[in-house]
Amino acid sequence: MTPRLEVRGLTVGHDGVAVAREIDLQVAPGEIVAVLGPSGCGKSTLLASIAGVVPPLEGRILVDGRDVTGTPIHRRRIGMIFQEPLLFAHLSVGDNVGYGMRRKKVDRRQARERAAELLAWVGLPDFEHRHTDQLSGGQAQRVALARALAAEPAVLLLDEPFSALDAELRSRLAAEVAARLHDAGVAALHVTHDAAEARTVADRVVTMDDLTR
Amino acid sequence: MSAVDHGVRPGLPRWLGWTAVVPIAFLLLFLAYPVVRLVSTVLGGGGAAGLVRQLQSASLWQVAGLAAGQALLSTALALVVGLPIANVVSRYRFRGRAVVQALVTVPFVLPTVVVALALRSLLGGAVPQGLLLVVLAHAYVNLAVVVRIVGAQWSQHDGSVEVVARTLGASRTRAFVDVTWPALRPSIASTAAVVFVFCFTSLGIVLVLGDPSTRTLESQVLRQTSVLLDFPGAAATALVQLVVVSTVLLLGLRAGRRSPARRVRPVPLRRATGYARVAVLGTAIMAALIVLIPVLALVARSLRVGDGWGLDWWRSVASVDAGTTRIGSPLSAVSLSISYAAVTAVVAALVGALAAVAVLVPGRTRVVALLAMVPLGVSSATLGLGTLLAFGRPPLDLRGTWLLVPIAHALVAVPIVVAVVAPALRTTDRRTLAVAATLGAAPTRAFWTAYGPVLRVVVVASAGLAAAVSLGEFGAASFLARAGSPTVPVQIVRLLGRPGEQSVGVAAVLAVVLVALTLALVLAVDRLGRSARRSPVGA
Repeated sequence: MTPRLEVRGLTVGHDGVAVAREIDLQVAPGEIVAVLGPSGCGKSTLLASIAGVVPPLEGRILVDGRDVTGTPIHRRRIGMIFQEPLLFAHLSVGDNVGYGMRRKKVDRRQARERAAELLAWVGLPDFEHRHTDQLSGGQAQRVALARALAAEPAVLLLDEPFSALDAELRSRLAAEVAARLHDAGVAALHVTHDAAEARTVADRVVTMDDLTR
Repeated sequence: MSAVDHGVRPGLPRWLGWTAVVPIAFLLLFLAYPVVRLVSTVLGGGGAAGLVRQLQSASLWQVAGLAAGQALLSTALALVVGLPIANVVSRYRFRGRAVVQALVTVPFVLPTVVVALALRSLLGGAVPQGLLLVVLAHAYVNLAVVVRIVGAQWSQHDGSVEVVARTLGASRTRAFVDVTWPALRPSIASTAAVVFVFCFTSLGIVLVLGDPSTRTLESQVLRQTSVLLDFPGAAATALVQLVVVSTVLLLGLRAGRRSPARRVRPVPLRRATGYARVAVLGTAIMAALIVLIPVLALVARSLRVGDGWGLDWWRSVASVDAGTTRIGSPLSAVSLSISYAAVTAVVAALVGALAAVAVLVPGRTRVVALLAMVPLGVSSATLGLGTLLAFGRPPLDLRGTWLLVPIAHALVAVPIVVAVVAPALRTTDRRTLAVAATLGAAPTRAFWTAYGPVLRVVVVASAGLAAAVSLGEFGAASFLARAGSPTVPVQIVRLLGRPGEQSVGVAAVLAVVLVALTLALVLAVDRLGRSARRSPVGA
C-alpha cells in the first residue's frame, strides 16, 4: 500500500545550515505517528519543510506517491496545526472553519453547513457565529482542528498543538483529538517533546534519532 | 484598589493632581480663545446670515474640492510607494536595515518648504509647477508616516497565520488578501487619514510647487488675509477646513481602534531567500535613493552658480542684499529662527511635561490624550489667523512683541512633547515609588526618585523635537512673523517668489542650513533616547 506521506532522505535547516539530516519517514493512511524529541532537535523545522514553508536542503517529500517537494504550500494537501490556534481574527468562528472549503470553491451555504457540523463534532455546537476572541485557549485549538480537517488534507501535521495549554486541559484535549483523528481516519504526524502525550495520541511513537539514517 | 479610588494614587504627591491646570490654561488662552475669535469674526460680518453668505461662495467649495482631490492622489501615492518599504523594513533582516529605517524618517522631519525646494531643484526643469510636483512632494514627506505606522502593525503580525491559510488551500496572493490585508487595514486607514489631512492642509509645498489648480483652503486663507484683506471670508474658509480636518481625523481614529491587539512576544525578523532576497534588497536600495536624491539635488542647487559651481551664495549669507529681498541678511533670519526655536523648546517642554505627568493620576489619562490631540486638529493657518485676530489688536496687542511666533509654535509642539513623555512615564516601573516611600521618602521626594531620571531625559529629548518643529514651521509663522524679521522658512518662500538666479541660490543655502540644523537636532534626540534605553532606570 502506498503510504499517505513519505519522506526520503530529507535534510532540513535554515539559511543553508542543517538542523536534522537524512530523515526517512512513512505515515500510512489513517495512521497517527508521533515524533518525540527535545526542543531544538529540528522537529518543527521538519514539519515546516513537509508543509512547504521552509525549503528542504536535500531529499524528497511524497504525498500518496506523488512528489510534492517543489509544489507550493496550498497545492500539497497537507494541513497544519501550530502551538497557537492562529485563527483569523477578522472572521467568525464558522468562517474560519469554512475557509479551506471556500478555497476549493465549495459554495458559501454548503461551507457554512459543513462548518457547523464540524464544530458540533469537536464539541462546540452553535459556535459558528461567535467571534474568535470569545474563545478560551482550548476552544480555539478545537476550532483550529475543525478548520484543518474541513479542508480535507491528505495528511495533518501537528506541531506541539497543546503546549500552550495548562497541564490538565492538555491531557484531556490530547485524548479527545486522538479520538477525533481516528474517527476522521486522517493520517497525521504529531511532533511533541512530551512522551505521555505522544503515547496518548499516536499509533506509533518514534524519536528524532530513529528517523535519521 | 478600593471602589472609591479617585484622586492621586497612594504614594504620589498631591500636587500631581493639579499640574494639568497649566496646560489647560495655556490651551484655553492660546488655542480656544483664538478659535472663538475666529468664529465670532465670521459671524460678526452679519451674524448667521453672514456666515451662510460666506459659505455660499463658489470659489470656497471649488478650492475645497481641488484640495480634496489633490490630497487623495497624494495619499494614494504615499501608500503605493510606502507599503512595500514598510513590508521590507518591518519584517526582514538584512544588512543596512537600520540605516534604511532611519533614512525613510528624514523627509518627515525636514521642513516642508525645504522639501518643496529640494523637489524643485531636482525636477524643476522636467516637470512644470502644478499638481504632479505637489503630489510627489506630499508623497515624499509622508513616506515616513506610512512606513512607521503601518510598519509597526506589520512587524507585529505573525506570518504563521498566512501559512495556515496556505495549508488550507490559499495561494500566496489569496493569503495576502484574506489574512494580511485585513490585519493591516485598520492601521492603513488611520495612516491614510493622517496623510490626507497633511496634504489637504498643506501650505509651504503648495506655495512653492503649485499652480492655481493646487490651491488648498490653507493657502486660500493666507491669500484672503494678506492679499484680499477679506477677514470674514478667510475665517469662513478656515472654519470649513477645521470641520473637514476634524471629521477625517475622527474617522481615522475610529478605524485605527479596530487594530488587532498588540502581541506580547515580538515576531522575529526573517531572512529572505532566493527571489525574495533580491526583491527585499532592491526595495531597500530604492527607498534610500528616493530619500537621498532630492536632498543631494538641494545641496547641488546651493553650489550652482551660472553654468558652473561655486560658493558665491554661501559667501553672501551675511549680506543684507543677498537674495534681493533687502529685508535683512539670510544670517539674521537663521539667528532669529534659532532663538524662536529655543523659546518654543522651553515653553512646549514645560507645558507638555506638565500635561504628561497627569497620566500617572488615575482618571486623568483620557484628559491627557485629549490635550495631546486637540492642537493637531487645528491647522497652522487657523492657528495663525486666530492668533492674529485674538492678540493682534487691543485689548491684548502682542504684535509688536516677538512672542506670537514661539507661542504658536509651542502649541504645534505640545502634542509631540506629550506623545514622547507620557508613554515613558507610564512604562516606568511604579514599584520604585513604593521602594522610595518605604525607605522614608516623602511623596514629592519619592516621585523624583522614581520618575526624575526618566523625566529629565524625555523632557530634554522632546524639547529638541519641539525646537526642530519650530525651525521648520512655515504656516503659522507666515501669518505671525513681522515683515522685517522673517523666520528661515518664511524667508525661503519670499526668496522663491522673486525672479533671479541669486534668489533661488540663496534660498537653497538657507534650506541646506535648515536641513543641517534639523538633522543635528533629531540625531541628538535619537542618541539621547538610545542612551536612556540603555541605562537601567529608563528601561
